[in-house]
Amino acid sequence: MHADSPDAPDDTLRRVIAELRRPVHLDARIDDRVLRAIAREQALPPRRVRPARWAGGALGGALAAGLLLTLLGRDAAPTRPIELRLIAPASHVMVVGDFNDWDPAATPLRRGNEGGTWTVELRLPPGRYRYTFLVDGRRWVPDPEEPRAADDDFGAPMSVLTVS
Amino acid sequence: MPRCAVPLAVVAVLATATLHAQERRLVDRLDPVTATAVQQLIDSARTAELPTEPLVQKALEGATLGAGGDRIRTAVGVLLGQLGRARDVLGPTATEAELTAGAGALRAGLTSETLQRLQVMRPGQPLVVPLSVLTDLVAEGMTADLAARSVFDLARNGRPDADFLALRRRVQTELRSTAPREDGPPGRSPGRPAANPPATRP
Repeated sequence: MHADSPDAPDDTLRRVIAELRRPVHLDARIDDRVLRAIAREQALPPRRVRPARWAGGALGGALAAGLLLTLLGRDAAPTRPIELRLIAPASHVMVVGDFNDWDPAATPLRRGNEGGTWTVELRLPPGRYRYTFLVDGRRWVPDPEEPRAADDDFGAPMSVLTVS
Repeated sequence: MPRCAVPLAVVAVLATATLHAQERRLVDRLDPVTATAVQQLIDSARTAELPTEPLVQKALEGATLGAGGDRIRTAVGVLLGQLGRARDVLGPTATEAELTAGAGALRAGLTSETLQRLQVMRPGQPLVVPLSVLTDLVAEGMTADLAARSVFDLARNGRPDADFLALRRRVQTELRSTAPREDGPPGRSPGRPAANPPATRP
């Protein structure tokens, strides 16, 4: 500021006012760009998208579902009731086979009203099953009502059950 | 917590449980050397995309019947080979039950050509029952050629599974009624004497 020039403050003020009043020249497409930017912002999800995370979640879910179906598949497969029967004088009879992990304690037969008749009902999906009876815990006895297995790998007589 | 953590954790738990369930059956019932050898065969089957459950059952059968480790390993290995042959014949879409039945048929002496002809005669239909009946007829003493012709007749005419089973029952009844009777174990027909006493579990 020049104190010795009485007009100086007025001139400065006028220049400032003139500068402020000067129209601002903007790009003619500015409005379009602003509106497009606003529209994009509104279209975005509220959180950042992480493709790897979503893909991992989807893959995990699919694997879990597949594994569950596999695990449950054996039980979910259609089964048919099958009655096994043996006529034998015995104090107890069990059956071992492909359907019970060959566990001698898993599947006992029930003694019927007729003294020597032993029965058990299984529910099995279609397939071919090898099995044999265990009479009194010491004798392997094949099922006389079903075909004998051609392959007795371990020396005991085996029967074969075909479930359709 | 990432969103994928829960399903992945479920997968891990279930996969571990499945693996342990299978290994536990072998470990609980077989000596360690045999269990390891059988597990290797099972791993080979899994790698070849062959069913593993028949192999587990074969090993457990041997354990229950008191067979030695060598015999169990041999039996499981033989079955693995038969399942592979059955898959070669029946194709990659064959089910576990069909492969098991096919392996039994091949072991009974039926040829790959017989199995393939049967498959051609029943396109898109399950082969478990025809294959099983074929095997049983041969096991009952019928020649492979006659058994195949009998089963082919039914397959060619689109007969249901029940007809195959009825055929087998008729043949079984006929053959057993004409067979010399022997003194055997209990039941309505004779059987061979029992082999081994039940194995004691470890």
